[in-house]
Amino acid sequence: MSEAVASLSEVSRTYGGVPVLESVSLAVEPGLTAVIGPNGSGKSTLLRVLVGATAPTAGEVRHPDAIGAKPIGYLPQRVPFREGFTARETLAFYARLVGDDPDAALDRVGLGDAGDRRVEALSGGMRRLLGIAQAVLGDPSLVVLDEPASGLDPGMRERAFRAAADRADGDTAVVVSSHALDLVDDHADRVVVLRRGGVAAAGPLDRLLDERDAADARELYRVVTGETGALPGDEGEVPEGDGGGDDGGDEGEIDGGDTEPDVHVTGVSDR
Amino acid sequence: MRGPLTGVATVFRRELATVVRTPGYGVLAVGLLVAVGGLLAAGGGGATGFVPAVVDLLLPTEALVPLAAVVLGYRALLADGASGELAVIRTYPVRVGEYVAGVLLARTVALVAVVGVPYALVGTGVWLTAAPDTGIFATHTGIDSPLLYLRFLAFVLCFGAAYVSLAAAVSALAASRRSAIALGVLALVAGVLGGDLLLLRSIGAGASPATIPGSLALTPNGAFRGLVFEHVIGVAFAPEGGFVSTGRAVGSLVGWTLLGAVVSGGALAYGRRVDAAIERVRSGIVD
Repeated sequence: MSEAVASLSEVSRTYGGVPVLESVSLAVEPGLTAVIGPNGSGKSTLLRVLVGATAPTAGEVRHPDAIGAKPIGYLPQRVPFREGFTARETLAFYARLVGDDPDAALDRVGLGDAGDRRVEALSGGMRRLLGIAQAVLGDPSLVVLDEPASGLDPGMRERAFRAAADRADGDTAVVVSSHALDLVDDHADRVVVLRRGGVAAAGPLDRLLDERDAADARELYRVVTGETGALPGDEGEVPEGDGGGDDGGDEGEIDGGDTEPDVHVTGVSDR
Repeated sequence: MRGPLTGVATVFRRELATVVRTPGYGVLAVGLLVAVGGLLAAGGGGATGFVPAVVDLLLPTEALVPLAAVVLGYRALLADGASGELAVIRTYPVRVGEYVAGVLLARTVALVAVVGVPYALVGTGVWLTAAPDTGIFATHTGIDSPLLYLRFLAFVLCFGAAYVSLAAAVSALAASRRSAIALGVLALVAGVLGGDLLLLRSIGAGASPATIPGSLALTPNGAFRGLVFEHVIGVAFAPEGGFVSTGRAVGSLVGWTLLGAVVSGGALAYGRRVDAAIERVRSGIVD
């Protein structure tokens, strides 16, 4: 059994008195963990609590094995970089804080040729790749990516997910939230299924598939949540430019702006 | 390798680059130059000398400099928080104090450019057009001098720095751009008018006029005005001085600057916990 890089114990979080996360206990181990669930199930809030961007209203978050100068890497659902700066300048700001090389980071995600383009001139997919490059700067033990494949075309989705999966090894835990269940099937070691702010199922993907007698992640999702998952390539709910995300202060779990009916909490604020 | 000042320097560079790339701040500086130059021209122009120029500019400066400082600072700490980038920055080895210091230093440097340059240009204009005896580098009673204007400029920048810091505190407390504007306007009005109104009220309530120099120094505007009277205008026209306690006035401006920085740091450092605590109370009420 691997050591947990991070753990949540009985974590709850409310907004405006309305529960978004309820008594979530979880151990994050090295490898790629995919957090899946319907819109409004608490995925983004769970990830924000995990990285410390949001304080829980109850429970405890620990990072026992997240070590180093930068123990945690984080990419919010809405890529937040300041406009007016080029991709290289943006990464250089972060790289300088951890003594990393921004050009190498750009190359790692295939943006080496786009370094001189301003952030606002990048496509949504390229901004997301830039966000992934930022998140893995400094070689953190825990990398948390909120919908890294959101709003991307099929090629970019695969590239973004692969960039995330490549970081997951024996020492590094990568946690991604996603509706791209085909990519979850291909890359995830473990899965956490959220439903209405609680953990409906969690564990190694293979074990959960066996236990639930499911053929793949999509069927597992349907069995556990009672809903159909997004079709392959359907994670493009967020239009390019990320205007429909649920992060950056609008933490109401409007996961990407699609229209599934099971929206648990909408429009609540983080501030 | 990362040194103790790496965080401050890195944030400072980014913030300064942001300011340099924001055309609005250039417009603000030009607007301030036009306003200050226009006020001076309306008061008789540069030919009257440095101290008369300071007399003409003193009252408008008490409103214009805070306004420019609030414009420079009201979104300084809000921008990253509102965009979500602050959550990313905080995963890096940058303490809240380093982040606030980097942002505040950059915004203060911006203030030196946006406010200092127009006032320096106006001072240069006075130097070029004033009567010959204003070129004497002396500060003793009865003599006008460029050094007196330099003192005025130094007080203007200290005064503006206090307001930049207070505006940054407002930006750290605000939840949105709209609330930042509202809080900034409130701070501006309270700062520019509030101190004098309180002073008048206390005198009206029977406080001794002898307490004015002490009380005046407590607000940024009062401290600035007192220092200008004591060390610029008074030097030329009123040898007895006594407008304000210099130490108290300087301490007041430094204190307001530090207060803004501390409130900014506190808001960013403890904001999440306060937010969670408020949520716990709300949840208790809902239950």
